[in-house]
Amino acid sequence: MNAPPPDPTPTDLVQGTLHMLILKTLALEPMHGYGIGVRLEQISKGVFQVNGGSLFPALRRLERAGLIKGDWHATENNRRAKYYTLTASGRATLRRETRDWEVQAAAIARILRASPGEV
Amino acid sequence: MRQLNSLLAGITTLFRRARAERDMDDELQQFLQTAIDEGLSSGMTRGEAARAARVRLGSPAAVKDHVRDAGWEVLVEQFGRDIAYAWRGLWRSRTFVATTVFTLAIGLGLVTVVFTVFDAYVLRPFAIRDPNSVYEVYWWSQEAGGHTFRWRDYEDMKARTDLFDSAVVEDGRFLSSNGTTLSAAFVSGNYFEALGAPILLGRGLAEYDARAVGDAPVAVLSHQAWSRFFEADPGVIGREIVLNDHRLIIVGVARAEFQGLDDYPHDLWLPVTMYGPITGQNLFGSNQPRELRVLVRLRSDVTAAQAQTSLGIEPFETKVVGRLDSVRAELKVRATRVPLTPDVIALFAPVFVPFVLVLVAACANASNVMLARANTRHREIGVRLALGASRGRVIRQLVTEGFLIAALAGVVGLGLAALVLRAGTPLVIGQLSASIAPLVRVVPLEFDRRVFVFALAAVSATTLLFALLPALHATRLTLMDAIRGQAGSKIRSSALRGLLVGGQVAISLALLIVAATLVRNGVAIANVDLGFNPGSVLSVNTRGQSSLVPKAAGVLSDDPRIDQVVVTSRNPLFGQLEKIPVLEGGRVVVPVTYLFVSPGYFSMLGIPIIHGRGFRPGESREESGVAIVSAAAAQALWPGEEPVGKTLHLEMPEARTGVADVLTRSLKAVGKSGGLYVTVVGVAKDVVSGLVYEGKDSAQVYLPTSVEGQHAKALLVHPRPGTNLQPDAIRTMLLQVHPDPLKFETIPLVEMVAVQMFPLRLASWIGSILGGIALVLSVSGLYGVLTYMLGQRAREIAIRMALGAAAPAVVRLVMRQSARLAGAGAAIGLLFAFTVMEFLSSIIRLEEVSVLDPAAFAAGVALVTIAVALASYGPARRATHLDPASILKSET
Repeated sequence: MNAPPPDPTPTDLVQGTLHMLILKTLALEPMHGYGIGVRLEQISKGVFQVNGGSLFPALRRLERAGLIKGDWHATENNRRAKYYTLTASGRATLRRETRDWEVQAAAIARILRASPGEV
Repeated sequence: MRQLNSLLAGITTLFRRARAERDMDDELQQFLQTAIDEGLSSGMTRGEAARAARVRLGSPAAVKDHVRDAGWEVLVEQFGRDIAYAWRGLWRSRTFVATTVFTLAIGLGLVTVVFTVFDAYVLRPFAIRDPNSVYEVYWWSQEAGGHTFRWRDYEDMKARTDLFDSAVVEDGRFLSSNGTTLSAAFVSGNYFEALGAPILLGRGLAEYDARAVGDAPVAVLSHQAWSRFFEADPGVIGREIVLNDHRLIIVGVARAEFQGLDDYPHDLWLPVTMYGPITGQNLFGSNQPRELRVLVRLRSDVTAAQAQTSLGIEPFETKVVGRLDSVRAELKVRATRVPLTPDVIALFAPVFVPFVLVLVAACANASNVMLARANTRHREIGVRLALGASRGRVIRQLVTEGFLIAALAGVVGLGLAALVLRAGTPLVIGQLSASIAPLVRVVPLEFDRRVFVFALAAVSATTLLFALLPALHATRLTLMDAIRGQAGSKIRSSALRGLLVGGQVAISLALLIVAATLVRNGVAIANVDLGFNPGSVLSVNTRGQSSLVPKAAGVLSDDPRIDQVVVTSRNPLFGQLEKIPVLEGGRVVVPVTYLFVSPGYFSMLGIPIIHGRGFRPGESREESGVAIVSAAAAQALWPGEEPVGKTLHLEMPEARTGVADVLTRSLKAVGKSGGLYVTVVGVAKDVVSGLVYEGKDSAQVYLPTSVEGQHAKALLVHPRPGTNLQPDAIRTMLLQVHPDPLKFETIPLVEMVAVQMFPLRLASWIGSILGGIALVLSVSGLYGVLTYMLGQRAREIAIRMALGAAAPAVVRLVMRQSARLAGAGAAIGLLFAFTVMEFLSSIIRLEEVSVLDPAAFAAGVALVTIAVALASYGPARRATHLDPASILKSET
């Protein structure tokens, strides 16, 4: 019997981040579930390994929220796959989240770099 | 937008679950395939590629689970599964469910019924425009008061546009329509318009219907009368209805929710100008009768207090009562049938207290039974936890179960309440005698949603709480403990158990004692000795026209079927007698009630003259200055002395002209000081002349009158033995006196007794029912909680048995411990019962039974003791039959 996958324990940050990363991946080109996982791994140089237990629920949530849209198409290997595309509202969300993220990341970086004299 | 999308997607998924599942399977399959393809193309073997793909995906079942969890619709699905699971579980323990559901349903149903009645009379406003601005006008003087006025007074009040937006008149009368008695209301022409009373068909009465006497023979029907007498004929407008031989044309039908502004519903409304033609009494002449109730709609800028003061100064003092004595006006809110005042709350409280106690007992009971059951479920919960259910999931499932029980109880309670309300009214009315029942009108008892929701909330809260408690317990256990079925010694369950047993005993005892006292009180009052024998005597009252008495007496005495006719100023058992003070040396000694009777009164009713003599015909014709006093009056006035020959000085209520001109100035025995001096000639045995409920007269004075006498206002008829004379026969005879059969009201005295007993009997029945329910609830509740307690102690008992304790010794031990817990509970229960009884006795008359009725308290204690004994003996016996070895094995 397969042991159940460890619970992804999605905190807000992690979950939100995964959503943002998926949106970003899809902003480059429409892709199926497997492709999204592989692409995330490649771009992050192996830092993020997204398994099905995290990926598919995230896709379902995004689809529910109307940020992405899934359609069945033929793949290059002549199989059928569900390709996800970014919707207009998904694009807007991605832009907003990217901006927010950059602001927050810059702020966090400043705090972490702060020397005793500055506080 | 996002929520909407999610909602739509969720609903789509719910309804197209199979399709969604297939989609998901396809997608995961494709994921695997693609991963394998990639692996192969990067040079892995097929096996390696397949393994790598599976690692990347994870367990497909788990992935699907996570995906499902991402949508809200999963909660609906789980709820559905929980319900199904709960239903299967409950079905397996049918006895438990039936007990709990039925217990809760009884509490729920009863409270709903009581509140519905309360609501119909007290809380629900009349269906008119802005009911809260409608007031009824009362007047008060030092000795008297009332709420009826002359037409002239009404016109004065109507003219006070500085105080009132409008004023209307309503006067309820019973009229006959081809043998059926109808409750009619004579109303002013502006009634419907000013009140904004809702009309279903046709029109309401209008000003032009009430311009001149006898001008407009029209009527508006109530919805009830329309359905009952006209089969809800939609073409009823224009049809005729005959009232006291007058033809009236129906011009409208009121909506069902409007039944007039009286204590009881009206059947139809007539213009006040038809009063004269129909009843033969002139409202508008020079000598106007005080007959009309006046209702006013207060201006929004005037308070009731201002209006009272203003009315008291002007029309009231000079005109209404005709004296400048301190007469004041009072405005009472008339937004509901019975205005909600502290008095009314006090009146209803004794009804509410036992019913609420039943609900409390039912909830306590259900809680105990549920706890007892929960005890056996630790293992089940443990297994579910071990199989990977999350704590939240288990709790959700248990709450669903509680919800299911509450819902079932709700449905059954609803049915029970509806049944009682539907069957109860005719049942209650059916107990009334034939002469009375047609006069009774009951407010339609509509099912009250609010109270049901309240009671349901109470029940749900209890059920959920006690569904949750074991869940929280169990889900906190370590898995191993739970699977072993051990509740865990960490929980301080002995305190909880003690509390449960004690609480159950306390509530049961209080409820039993209250119910027993009510029953005993009802029985005691119902068995009260009237002191005389109403036998076959019939009462004939004149409706307002006492001038008809001599002729009626003549007609009735001439009939061969009638043995004897006597006259009285007021027949016995027709309500409370008026009190007047007895003076001695200018100061009030004792108040007495009085009655004018003709000489035959005592022999007809079998009231013995225990001392002295009765009235002589001469005295009676003269209404001369003699009196017969009751034994109690003699005792109160002249304790230990010879009453015959003493002189009584009764205060003349001259000042009451227009209010109760009963003892009039024409009396020959009026003394100089304005009092009435009478000489006592005899002493009669004590009897009940007023209300059965109040017992025998505290002090009664009989004064003489005769058929021609000023005070002869009612007749008593004694039929010859064997004639079996019915009221109808009397009515036929009286047609010779006056063609209108409703001039007289003929009722057998025994029926008056029955009518007076009726509320007492009703109270007694209700008490018995509540007592029965209390008993069942106590026994089942105690049984439940003691079973639970012993279940918890099975291990301890097993060890005792294993160490050689004999079964009887164990039973004794258990019983002793139960008794100790029950004893503590009983002490609290006694205290509680005493408080409740104290409270009840401050608002109802517990005449025949003391607050601390020893019998009721003894009965309550005895029943609870037996219940505790039975409830602990059974489970204790059962516990000793268990095999110690198997119990101890299961615990390790």
